[in-house]
Amino acid sequence: MSATTAPEAALSVLPRADGSAKYSYAGYTVTASVNGPIEAQRKDEHAQEAYVDVIVRPAAGVGGTRERHLESLLQSSLSQLILVKNFPRMLIQVVLQVEAVPDNDYENTKLVQASLNFPIIPALLQTAVLGLLSAVVPMRATATSTVAAVVFQDGAKRVVVDPSPKELAAARSVHVLAFTSHDELILAESEGDFSVKEWDDVYDAAAKICCQSGAGNADTAMDLDGPVNAGPDMRQFLNSTLEAKVAADLYWK
Amino acid sequence: MAKFGPKRQGPRSDIPAKLGRTHRQEHLNLTTTHNGHHRPPPRPPRRPYPPSLIPTHPKHPLRLGPGLRHVPPSSILPTVAGQLIVNPHKTSMWIESNGGRYTPSPSDLVIGRVLRSAADLYYVSLSPYTPPASLPHLAFESATKKTRPQLAPGALVYARVSLANRHMDPELECVSPSTGKADGLGPLTGGMVFDVSPGFARRLLLARSRDEGGVEVLELLGAEGVAFETAVGRNGRVWVGSESVKAVVVVGRALKETDEGRLGGEEQRRLVKRLVREMR
Repeated sequence: MSATTAPEAALSVLPRADGSAKYSYAGYTVTASVNGPIEAQRKDEHAQEAYVDVIVRPAAGVGGTRERHLESLLQSSLSQLILVKNFPRMLIQVVLQVEAVPDNDYENTKLVQASLNFPIIPALLQTAVLGLLSAVVPMRATATSTVAAVVFQDGAKRVVVDPSPKELAAARSVHVLAFTSHDELILAESEGDFSVKEWDDVYDAAAKICCQSGAGNADTAMDLDGPVNAGPDMRQFLNSTLEAKVAADLYWK
Repeated sequence: MAKFGPKRQGPRSDIPAKLGRTHRQEHLNLTTTHNGHHRPPPRPPRRPYPPSLIPTHPKHPLRLGPGLRHVPPSSILPTVAGQLIVNPHKTSMWIESNGGRYTPSPSDLVIGRVLRSAADLYYVSLSPYTPPASLPHLAFESATKKTRPQLAPGALVYARVSLANRHMDPELECVSPSTGKADGLGPLTGGMVFDVSPGFARRLLLARSRDEGGVEVLELLGAEGVAFETAVGRNGRVWVGSESVKAVVVVGRALKETDEGRLGGEEQRRLVKRLVREMR
């Protein structure tokens, strides 16, 4: 199930890549390999900035239209984060291999209609950011991301962060939001019927998870009865992962 | 507000005019930061560093090393995850980290592999899948059109980066432009190249790598009577040359195991003892 365990990450797991990261949370496990800045193919070359190439590989089979769409979403977000102007005519390649997706005991996983795979976006984005940090690619900011669903339960609306597959299937609307470390919204994708008020509630819930760090943590951890079920503190998680990386890099100091 | 020193034209044109930044400086600084400079805890890219952290000097401009970004008017922001190191004596600051791909910067010492020869220059690879650097045929000690070294594809050269900026492919030289001397640069014959992490290569390049970088294996192997020579490139390559192939392999293995196993002083001593015992 989802949101019961804390996110886990390991950096520099692949020996040959410039940077790599393995991230698992809410049933998803993704491995990223980041190479760059390397020479871009002539067709991808941009005279003023680096081209960020994102490749999403699904857990089984070959990628299709949905993976291409995920790639385009991630590519535009990551290009905002990376200081692409520092590396004109270069390529920064991010390969995201999905290794595990949550088991779905309740819902029929067979896809009837092409739709977005929202809950995987935070895992992909988080892994990509960790991979880029591992590859020491200069970045403007880091990013944290989360998925939230608006569900009707007992006649009341509720915002569920990191929804389970069952909750997702019953949800009125699903939203993915990502924030930079400057608390700026960098990615917002929504699906389903929702009002502006609902979107505002989702934004507040996601901002709480993505943008709080350290100090406010104790409060929200206690506040389990609130209307929003408190997810993990993603920024705190990112910071502690990075501190561990830096400590390992500079063990000789 | 952070105050910067007087304007000074830095060697690179891609930086704000207020900040003279030299990457060579980073080497020099690394040797002087060991005793007791201010080291705040690591932090991811987020907010500008407070002015109290930024060194100021009435005359010297502030120098920013790798991993830092100047956002006008006076914000200094980190761009990579690492440890901020501030050297108030040289009014410089940079981020110390390890990993990633080598990005050439002027006056770095690198080990390159010759890809091919063109009309008047060699194309040299500094790291895989990056655009080749160019090394003019005449950029060797006392080279003329008739006496230049003939390098076949695959040959190794120890060179200095003479030009590097983001809009052009890097250029190398194997001779000091002011003195005309090679100073140890030039083709590397025999021996083997070992890949190490960029951070480890930087540690090896420190003036006193044993005291400040914590790398003892080379001195220890020398003390055990193993005869060898090394050349360290900032691009994460170490060349080891020796009369005996065994010595080359032992030195290379000692370096790689120290790097990958993150060995401390005692572990390095044990490793060297084991390797020397196995060699004999």
